[in-house]
Amino acid sequence: MNATLPAPDRTLDTSGKLCPFPIVETAKAVRALAPGAVLLVIATDPGIAQDMPMWCRATRNEHLATFKEGAAWKSYVRRAPREEGQP
Amino acid sequence: MTRKARAIGLISGGLDSTLALAMVKAQGVEVKAINFYTGFCITETQRRKGGRPDGSVPRNEALRAAADVEVDVEYVDISGREYLDMLVSPRYGYGKNANPCVDCRVFMMRKAKEIMEREGADFVFTGEVLGQRPKSQRRDTLRVVERDSGLDGRLLRPLSAKLLKPTIPEQEGLLDRSKLGDISGRSRHPQMAMAEALGIADWPQPAGGCCYLTDESFARKFFDVLRAREAAGEERRIEPDDVVLLSTGRHFRLSPKAKLVIGRSEVENALLDNYLEGRARVEAQGVAGPVALVEGVPTWEERQLASRIVARYGKGKDLPQVEVEWREDGEAERYPVAPFDDEDALEKMRV
Repeated sequence: MNATLPAPDRTLDTSGKLCPFPIVETAKAVRALAPGAVLLVIATDPGIAQDMPMWCRATRNEHLATFKEGAAWKSYVRRAPREEGQP
Repeated sequence: MTRKARAIGLISGGLDSTLALAMVKAQGVEVKAINFYTGFCITETQRRKGGRPDGSVPRNEALRAAADVEVDVEYVDISGREYLDMLVSPRYGYGKNANPCVDCRVFMMRKAKEIMEREGADFVFTGEVLGQRPKSQRRDTLRVVERDSGLDGRLLRPLSAKLLKPTIPEQEGLLDRSKLGDISGRSRHPQMAMAEALGIADWPQPAGGCCYLTDESFARKFFDVLRAREAAGEERRIEPDDVVLLSTGRHFRLSPKAKLVIGRSEVENALLDNYLEGRARVEAQGVAGPVALVEGVPTWEERQLASRIVARYGKGKDLPQVEVEWREDGEAERYPVAPFDDEDALEKMRV
């Protein structure tokens, strides 16, 4: 399923961290990305499969995919295009 | 309306805070949602322990609420020393259990005020409803929280706003007071009607009750730790490790200076293994059984007693003798003991 996913601009490994810290760290990492750049988040908290799509919907970033690979989950997020007034 | 207002909304993800988000956003206000992480959320702890017994993982309701209402959301960690010290010495006292709700709200609103100022927002709002909770949501305590947090005139409760004094953003015309709510009391029917009107169809059931501090069993363990530390001549305080351990396992008070915590599942056993520093790890050998920790300074007799109780919760509980390993500071000792079989005495030690 992953052949079509873009190569990430940055990878964030949150393995061992539990709710809500994978999302807290994702938010910080996405803020540091250029608009349109892609972040790969690796997590062992199974809640990431529910949390990441909801966080992307709330923050208007693009959720590309979340899937389990081995013991960990991988989640791809594309930073939203810059909106007026955004840093 | 004058210029576009900006606001900070505090959300738990329950129906009331979801409605508050939707109401304020519907007035054209630019809203940022904040969810405070205290370490005492029951749902978060359930997730940390692998989810529900049926294998499902509880969803994060604060995220769900922000996503449904389409507002930006940020988690803010307030679980540090300052918060733990507030829990031990609350100025306004505790509710029914270990819940110092008024002090906790003052603490959160102070943090919210800092965020409001940092973000250049005009006001803070919450999903609180006048008269919904017996102590923390009375008219006088809502006012205390507003005053003590320094948010005078800038703390809006949209669901009950028409029953409260107008806030500064209402007076400045940044909000239309006529479109705010006039809900009070414990009935949830008005909120359900409002949810339907705002197109909100999804909220957690039952409402509220997500905080361990309001849980009777947790509160017993919380106050037991404070009492024991005082009796042992130590400082009356809660440590970060306590927050996890108080919601994990069976707890038995052996003496003011020693407590036994026994895992109730594979997940809890694994979790206890992450908290070995400064504690003894106790486990039966040769038979399946739980992992246990002993905190404090047990006497020889208490070491024997703890070993017997650990043996009682393993598969060897009906054997005449079980060998129990006691491991601490890198050294291990083994005690052959008879599994504890005095259930009345066991119940007296249970916290």
